[in-house]
Amino acid sequence: MFKYTLQRILYMMLVFFIITMMCFILVRMLPPLPLDPMRPETTVVAARREAMGYNKPYLVQFGIFLKNIFTDFNWGVSEKLYYGQEVVKVFVTKMPPTMLVNLYSILWTIPVGIGLGIFAALKKNSLIDYGISTLTMVTISVPSFVYAFLVQYFFSYKLSWFPFLMNSGEEYFTWPMFVSMLPAVLSLSFGTIAGFTRTTRAELTEVLTSDFMLLARTKGLTKAQATIRHAMKNCMVVVLPSIFGSFIGILSGSMIIERIFGVPGIGGLTLNAINGRDYNIFMLTTCFYTAIGLAASLVVDISYGFIDPRIRMGSKK
Amino acid sequence: MSMKKLLALLLAVVMVLSVVACTPKDPTQGTDPTGNEGTNPTGTNPTEPAGPEVVVFEGDYTYTDYVSTLSANWNIHTYETSDESYPIEFLTSGLYTFIFNDELNALEGKDPYEGYVIVPEMAAEMPIDVTETIKASRPEFGIPADATEGYAYIIKLNPDACWDDGTPIKAVDWVESMKRLLDPKLQNYRAGGYYEGGFCIAGAQAYANAGQTVITDNGVSGAYAVADLVKGADGAYTTPDGQPVWIAFDYPIDWCGGNSLKDYADAYGTGYFGMENFEKLVALMDEEGKIVCTDENLALLSSMTTTNPNWGETDADLPNYLVYQEVFPEFSYDGVGLYETGEYEITLVLNKALKGFQLLYNLTGSWLVKTDVYDACLKQEGDAWFSTYCTSAETTPSYGPYIMSDYQMDKGMHFVKNENWWGYSDGKHVYMDPVDGKIYPMYMSTEIDTVVVTEVATAKMMFLKGQLMTYGLQTEDYGAYRSSEFCHFTPGQAVYFLILNGNMEMIKEREAAADFDQTKYDLETMTLNSFHRALNLSYDRSEYSSEFNPAQSPAFGLVGTAYIYDPDTGARYRDSDQAKQVLCDVYGIDASKHESLDAAVATITGYDPVAAKGWFAKAYEEALAAGYVTDTNNDGKSDQMIEMIYSASADPSEKMQKIMKWLGDCANEAAAGTGFEGKISVVPSAPLGNDWSTYIKAGQTDCVLGGWNGSAMDPYGLMEVYTNPSYQYDAEWFDSTSINLTLNLRGEDITMNLMQWQQCMTGTAIEVNGKTYNFGDGIGTYEERLTIMAAIEKEILLGYNYLPMTQAGSMFLLTQKAFYVVEEYNPVMGRGGIAYLRYNYNDQAWDTYVASQPNGELAY
Repeated sequence: MFKYTLQRILYMMLVFFIITMMCFILVRMLPPLPLDPMRPETTVVAARREAMGYNKPYLVQFGIFLKNIFTDFNWGVSEKLYYGQEVVKVFVTKMPPTMLVNLYSILWTIPVGIGLGIFAALKKNSLIDYGISTLTMVTISVPSFVYAFLVQYFFSYKLSWFPFLMNSGEEYFTWPMFVSMLPAVLSLSFGTIAGFTRTTRAELTEVLTSDFMLLARTKGLTKAQATIRHAMKNCMVVVLPSIFGSFIGILSGSMIIERIFGVPGIGGLTLNAINGRDYNIFMLTTCFYTAIGLAASLVVDISYGFIDPRIRMGSKK
Repeated sequence: MSMKKLLALLLAVVMVLSVVACTPKDPTQGTDPTGNEGTNPTGTNPTEPAGPEVVVFEGDYTYTDYVSTLSANWNIHTYETSDESYPIEFLTSGLYTFIFNDELNALEGKDPYEGYVIVPEMAAEMPIDVTETIKASRPEFGIPADATEGYAYIIKLNPDACWDDGTPIKAVDWVESMKRLLDPKLQNYRAGGYYEGGFCIAGAQAYANAGQTVITDNGVSGAYAVADLVKGADGAYTTPDGQPVWIAFDYPIDWCGGNSLKDYADAYGTGYFGMENFEKLVALMDEEGKIVCTDENLALLSSMTTTNPNWGETDADLPNYLVYQEVFPEFSYDGVGLYETGEYEITLVLNKALKGFQLLYNLTGSWLVKTDVYDACLKQEGDAWFSTYCTSAETTPSYGPYIMSDYQMDKGMHFVKNENWWGYSDGKHVYMDPVDGKIYPMYMSTEIDTVVVTEVATAKMMFLKGQLMTYGLQTEDYGAYRSSEFCHFTPGQAVYFLILNGNMEMIKEREAAADFDQTKYDLETMTLNSFHRALNLSYDRSEYSSEFNPAQSPAFGLVGTAYIYDPDTGARYRDSDQAKQVLCDVYGIDASKHESLDAAVATITGYDPVAAKGWFAKAYEEALAAGYVTDTNNDGKSDQMIEMIYSASADPSEKMQKIMKWLGDCANEAAAGTGFEGKISVVPSAPLGNDWSTYIKAGQTDCVLGGWNGSAMDPYGLMEVYTNPSYQYDAEWFDSTSINLTLNLRGEDITMNLMQWQQCMTGTAIEVNGKTYNFGDGIGTYEERLTIMAAIEKEILLGYNYLPMTQAGSMFLLTQKAFYVVEEYNPVMGRGGIAYLRYNYNDQAWDTYVASQPNGELAY
């Protein structure tokens, strides 16, 4: 298991390096914004680009980029959006709102999603099951930003339950701030709840019809006891890795939701970096998302081994 | 005098006397017309003569605003975009500032709030011209020997000016700030604004570029004629100081309007250029599109630019295509023309003479930074320097009416009153209300709260809930809100016009194409002036704007309502008698039959279906006679359809399709009963992308809606787009050099062609019959320039290649919580901004009011 994990980490780092290099070079190959010779600032901008090394060979630029990161974790300064500010500092200030909104979302979607899934599985082929399954399908099919507009219209505008936007300030653990995050949290949750519901229902339905469940009942366990002690454990082999994946995925946030609800997070930062051609910020967020994606797949894979001892990770047989 | 008039006069006198008797103080009396009374808490000084009482407000007044993008840098040395300049008006003050003309600051010949005046802000008084003195005492600044004014000024500073922490702002702060702005190592984005263009501080360019090598556009600098250059042993020319010179062939230059010569040649080819050596020139280009400047290469260039009369240049124009390398030697700030001459006095020396409005206008901006904070914010990244000055509340010192109290990246910014701002207590930052005649303080808002709202739908909901104070109307909102009393219209710069094809040569080429069926279609009719005139009268602009662009208003001239011809007073071109007469002449209105020119202009609709029918009938006769169309069955109708191809950049949207249909339907409606009844249609071209303008210019498409934006204070410059073939859409069929115009100016009749008049009006000396004329800025009077401009506009309109349709504009809703003192939009002042915003409710009362509305939702 250790060897397998180590191997996967090394592969992950290699993939990470390749993706980073490709992104860096492709981004630097983009033609810079054309300069207007009639504007007095043109010579200034040209000189600044020269000073920032844009006219050096791409691999030399990439070498400098890596050297700065490995020697003093310097990802450069923002050249456009946050002029002159260190991109790491900008990035760090953006992390808490993204993490919190997604964490709150995950925290309540797990019990609700799994609960609904269990309920539907236990009521299999009943009207309740059909209702939940249909609702799940519909909910999964609708993009989360649609919920965002609905939540904002009904809960913030019509009912005035929540503010339209997340509150300003960095006091993230106050009640008003929590309430202001709820529209974003709700909007992110519907799809995730539906996902957990569907997975749980599908797995539990299958497990409940297994032979060992019949055996458990015949040895005298009630349906509830058999379901909790045996069915749920087996069902979780599939459900838990998806929860791990979701936990890691929370860091990536949701770009559109953040924009709609004014969440000053990483999603908006990435979009702005792309639109503003702020290469240093774009590289940092790209590396971050790449790392998150790779780490999520690694954690999910490894988690199978821990959850179900029968699964041998890296085994040749 | 009749008895009625006498009585009216008596009544007026009695009323005036009674008002004077009742008024506690006449605001125009006394040495300080804007001083405060004892009851006024804003800066009472018992030793000064008491002025009128300023209304005092209680409570908090928070201005809640939204932006879609929040700036992260509002450093006045480095900001680039309008987003970034957003906080600057709250945090800084200029040496001089614009205010509305009111009773307290009257402007001769102008009603209150019709114009503006420029008054000292961080300066103590108006600049003092010391050109003669500086010319003698500081020859290093190179003031021309014959100059007597406009080059050097002493500016006395306002001793009350201070930073938000109370530190006084002195001359040394202004000088040290300029030193940092121009610092060559910092390469500040805004530095160029102080040495390029019209406002050039002596020595600023040399200092800002010290030790650097740059490529300079000879067409801008005008430094060298070919004869000034030095030929090297290899035949390549250099500047006299040995720097290389190139021909800017595929290198953008000012002479080509920011494009390159090759761009033009690619677009127009033999239509404007001699193209026989084009490929040779292309082969000679280096990676940047430059060509070594030799006699041979100059000859190749000359063959291209001087042999085709349409481009019409001579060898004397060749230097405009040259660029040269410039190496700036090390240069000390001591040579820069901004220095301290007293604790509260700076001296400003310029490279180019500037005076009056233009000087003051350039000094309404600011370069002042708090140097200790500024220096602490500098950091080096490789060879480049960056600054974090003005990127957070902590690094944002203020010397404006507000302080940035809070800033959260991409979330919002908050401002509170700068209690140390002198304007709150100097008694000068007040205005007289045009309605109630009372004196009110400027900057009534006690706080400004700006949040980021990226979705328009969110902004609208927040506005209706009273959480935002403005909302920019979207197309779908016009129906519901355009009639609201809270809806305000802001005119844009552009007039949108329908451009009509008149390129007979290209049309013949198109008709000769194998797939063109001349028995069914005709294009030649489109070149007839009568056909253009008929179309011009077929379109009801009011219907068009209300149907398709409700925020726009009907337009009848080429120049919009936002252009100011006299910046000293803010007088607008469209309001001038000359401009009004143009419209009357073009639309056939006899002004003498109306009470006034205004009344005559008010009758213009641009829509006259009866006259249009007449012109269509005439066009049909002409087309029939010329053989453009036929009538084989003698039914009095054309056998051919006039299918006008609209120059579409992309697949037309539903709205564009409707517009095209409307254009065709209106023409057919007006043509009913003539030979063109039901024979006119407007269809989209294939998607042309950015080439849509190239196609219309070449006559490959037949119509398109377009418009030009210009500087609000330079309508004269705007005329170039209608007379210079580099910009003209109709250059191929409207030659501005072939239309002569005689104007009586300075007591004589002067005849020039349209292009010459345009150039002459914008500062080019034009020689006619051995006499040189120049009516440029500061040389010609505004009246003279106005006369020239109106005459040019009239000639262009009478060409009927541009049919004005609508005036650009936008609409927004202003909250019920506040109102602008001035309803009408002023191109320079807007509606006065935050300074002239007045509140109906304070924050507490507003909350109560909103809560009392059904569902807490406001009705607009």
